[in-house]
Amino acid sequence: MKIQTAVMSFIYLTRLLLSLFVLYVMLSWKVRSARKAFEKQLVRQGMSKKDARRISAQFSKLKDGMMDTAKGSLFRNR
Amino acid sequence: MGEEKEKKKGSTIKVSLGSGKEDVEELREVLNVVSKEVPTMIRNILSSVFSEEAGRDMGKAAAAFYKQLKEAGMPEEAAVKMTENYVSVFTSLSDIMKRSAGGKGKSDEIGEEISRKIKEKLAEKHVGEKEEEEE
Repeated sequence: MKIQTAVMSFIYLTRLLLSLFVLYVMLSWKVRSARKAFEKQLVRQGMSKKDARRISAQFSKLKDGMMDTAKGSLFRNR
Repeated sequence: MGEEKEKKKGSTIKVSLGSGKEDVEELREVLNVVSKEVPTMIRNILSSVFSEEAGRDMGKAAAAFYKQLKEAGMPEEAAVKMTENYVSVFTSLSDIMKRSAGGKGKSDEIGEEISRKIKEKLAEKHVGEKEEEEE
């Protein structure tokens, strides 16, 4: 019974970690596409590519902030 | 004294575990739901903030702001700086989240401080009472 529980726990935990990894990769991809779309709109209005890229870095900052918050809450609760 | 009471109280707490089979079933159900629902929930929340459509909409708003500034005769550098500040208002969401997540820690610190002060006052009171008895 104990072995069965341990095996089941391991399987579900692995599934959860895999899902979270996929989620992280997907998040990075989504941030990239959001940045591209954002930059495109700014360049269309006459802003230089360099400035547009600098402003769109806010998306990455937001993503990093969210990840830090998630990590912080995870380790604080331990 | 209070701690002793707490210890005694703690020793009387009984945890009902139920039968082993039921526990395994329950654990299996919980893990199944957590491993399925948690990633889906996070994915949905993140999709509302980070998506091509959200980026395009935010870009349109920022571009309109930039265009207005340029048309009003603002220098290029100042217009870019103001647009950057404008966008940073949208993205200050992470700061709000950090503050809300950090709120719990602060309240814990306040709670610890209050309990420390109470213990100090009680200790002072006990010392005062002993001195009075001796007199």
